[in-house]
Amino acid sequence: MMPRITRRQLAGLAAGTAIAGGLPPARAADSTTLVSGFQLPQNLDPHQVYDVPMQAMMLNTYDNLYRYQNDPPELVPWLAESHTVSDDGLTWNFKLRPGVKFHDGSEMTAEDVVYSFRRVLALALGPAGAFLKILKPENVTAPEKLVVRFKLETSYAPFFAAIPSVCIVNPRIVKAHEKDGDWGKAYVASNGAGSGPYKIVSEGYRPLEFLDMEIFDDHFLGWKHNPKPVRKIAGRPTKETSTRILALLNGTLDWTDTNLPADQVEQINASKIAYVQKDVVMRTFVIRMNNTKPPFDNVNARKAFACAFNYMGFIKDILGGYATRDPYPQPETLWGIPKDAKGYDYDLAKAKEYMAKAIAEGAPMKRPLELHVQSENEQSVQGAQLFQSDLAQIGVNLKVVGNIWSNLTNAAAKPETTPDMWVHWVSTYFVDPENWVGQMYDSQFHGTWKASSYYKNAEVDALLRKARGLVKQEERSPLYQAAIRQIMADCPDIWIYNSMQLQGINKRVKGRRFCTVGQGAEVRWVTLEG
Amino acid sequence: MARFVLRRCALVLPSLLGLLVVTFLLIHAGSADPAAALAGDAATPEQIARLRAQYGFDRPMGEQFLLYLGRVAHFDFGESAFSHRPVALDIFQRLPATLELTFAALLLSIGLGVPLGVVAAVKHNSWVDYLLRLVSVMGIAVAAFWFAIMLQLFFAMDLAWLPLRGDLASTMTRPPRLTGFMLLDALIAGRWDVFVDHLRHLVLPAVTLSLGGLATIVRFTRAGVLDTLQQDFVFYERAMGYRWTRLVWLFVLRNSVTATVTQIGLLFGGLIAGGVVVESIFDWPGIGSYTVQAILTGDRQVMLAVTLLVGTVYAAVNILVDVVHGLLDPRLMERA
Repeated sequence: MMPRITRRQLAGLAAGTAIAGGLPPARAADSTTLVSGFQLPQNLDPHQVYDVPMQAMMLNTYDNLYRYQNDPPELVPWLAESHTVSDDGLTWNFKLRPGVKFHDGSEMTAEDVVYSFRRVLALALGPAGAFLKILKPENVTAPEKLVVRFKLETSYAPFFAAIPSVCIVNPRIVKAHEKDGDWGKAYVASNGAGSGPYKIVSEGYRPLEFLDMEIFDDHFLGWKHNPKPVRKIAGRPTKETSTRILALLNGTLDWTDTNLPADQVEQINASKIAYVQKDVVMRTFVIRMNNTKPPFDNVNARKAFACAFNYMGFIKDILGGYATRDPYPQPETLWGIPKDAKGYDYDLAKAKEYMAKAIAEGAPMKRPLELHVQSENEQSVQGAQLFQSDLAQIGVNLKVVGNIWSNLTNAAAKPETTPDMWVHWVSTYFVDPENWVGQMYDSQFHGTWKASSYYKNAEVDALLRKARGLVKQEERSPLYQAAIRQIMADCPDIWIYNSMQLQGINKRVKGRRFCTVGQGAEVRWVTLEG
Repeated sequence: MARFVLRRCALVLPSLLGLLVVTFLLIHAGSADPAAALAGDAATPEQIARLRAQYGFDRPMGEQFLLYLGRVAHFDFGESAFSHRPVALDIFQRLPATLELTFAALLLSIGLGVPLGVVAAVKHNSWVDYLLRLVSVMGIAVAAFWFAIMLQLFFAMDLAWLPLRGDLASTMTRPPRLTGFMLLDALIAGRWDVFVDHLRHLVLPAVTLSLGGLATIVRFTRAGVLDTLQQDFVFYERAMGYRWTRLVWLFVLRNSVTATVTQIGLLFGGLIAGGVVVESIFDWPGIGSYTVQAILTGDRQVMLAVTLLVGTVYAAVNILVDVVHGLLDPRLMERA
């Protein structure tokens, strides 16, 4: 039988050939145009879509009341100069900067912020998830021209952490394009309505294919911090790894997306034109176990599985070392993790011990089990195969099943349709334990993909709910620590690693700044040499 | 002629309806909940239930299909769960790029395949024939993605003659969209720079896509011409001293291409399907990657619309093939 050559291997061959053959001189765009390979969001409306590609786009074209900056991320005032919160955590006031202009030149006021939040709540898509249960549209008001007030239904500390997920849109543009009370949904999906440092070029957008943005000279922060800014961003995502690498190596792509395969790092670093930037991001990788299905309803069985995964083998051999072992249910760099917490290690002898206990307690460990992976992601498939081989050594029959994200999230809506096990990442939608442990292990979220292990522990529920209702981090932290300690003891899932993003960058790109929210895609800081 | 075309069109309608029924059933059996896809990753079960009711996804399948048919009759293909934009708009923006690439590939396949097939037949069992046969076998056997990467490495990386990917240099502004076909829009706008640059971007994907078709056309033309060369009228005309070149290229070829023309019709569907891979490798902004994304995300409305669209284009091309058959041999038209 002929050995099967994957496209990834071919990409490596292509890159190797290109380097070995001596690359032609860089044929980059001019020194004012940055060609970006970031994946484009599903559409351009930040109120309809809120995911990782959208974060990269909206940081350049929209502004928010507060924004995450730096690494580790910190919330800094952006359109708002400051904010206050009442002692009961219910009333939040944000004072806006004066003189902020939208791309059409009109001035931003508190009414525009009110409209934006009401639009988010009305569309009930994308970023709305964090607000729907705690905020009613009529409770977002503008008591003064530059003051926005939010009255929450219940105290909800992650409210502030989620504020950067809402972009402020220009109601004058949106309302002018409304059709049948759609809140301008169709228009904003393909056009800009923001105030960010770059504005969307009409005729310059086709979903998933290209997006052109040009500098907005009147951005409220000005451009003094960067005397030679990028004047045009040409968003040109690549679909194939081989094309992405060749484009980087021949200078027609200034930076790739952040999912560069680990096996391409050395070859790119060997080139004269580009390098691979490595950044630790808050994106955890987890194998979910359906705690409602035997044998996963047995804690010893779950621990047996947790001890049978070769964590470091996976990270070193399959991921090339480009990930950090994270044994906790949230990124290890985030507050709220108890110092004494200890995760599970790869130890087949211990796995067998736990397995024996589980069998003695009646857990059907010999039942054929399924682990569903996202077929298009080679690394998760390889990780599953590694797990399958280790489990076989302790007598567990695991079948690896290829699937797609939409099918898996759909199946996860009910415990009976959720697979025995499945793998996914949890990205940073907002920087707060709520984004991970809060929404993954509070049983009120059962039915969502994030809570798909269907873990239920009344004590953990109480701790997480209490932590959610407090405002001060110093009060919340001990509660999350207690919850995490208990969750780790119950071992509802297998927590594997925190991601390291790999991005190919042309050496002419200078001044890039990284923040885990947005993956360093904010172009405002960047200068192109030459 | 008009009656012939009308009759063929009438026959196409039930075929398209059948295609839609089968696709609808398959998609409903296999893909994810469209309401969950529409609601997005962060949606609550309540949000999903609300969308399910809003779009009628909670109704019986038969009712859903009839509703869909009613909408399609008004050219409303629904909303993409992925882009949240009207499917018709997404397709309208992308289809011209796919058709441009497909026609360019077809033009290359025919423009090179027919003459090479004739040469192979006329010089049969010579080294030219052997070489062309070898090349055509390789053309069918070679994987498109491998060939594409080889072309990229050689012409875009080593020689730097042609662009690696995309449809236009990133520093250029696009001409106003009138037809959607960039070459035409560039000409209409008087943007010669865009026309040339776009044409340069078109070369590698079109050559990649044309390879399989080219090989098929060479083989069918060769076989057809070889067959015709054995007919009496050829011996008669040669005996009468008719000019050989004229005889081959005018009369022999005309009597030989019926099978080739049929193949071209079939190839068209293959080219659109093959375009999915080629568009993906060259980042060509057509419907290929859109379709792949729809399948990966379980985007039902897009899958249905693209299937219907490709079916319609395929049917239209095959009607055209029948017309060309009739023109080549009027007896066929009379019989039909």
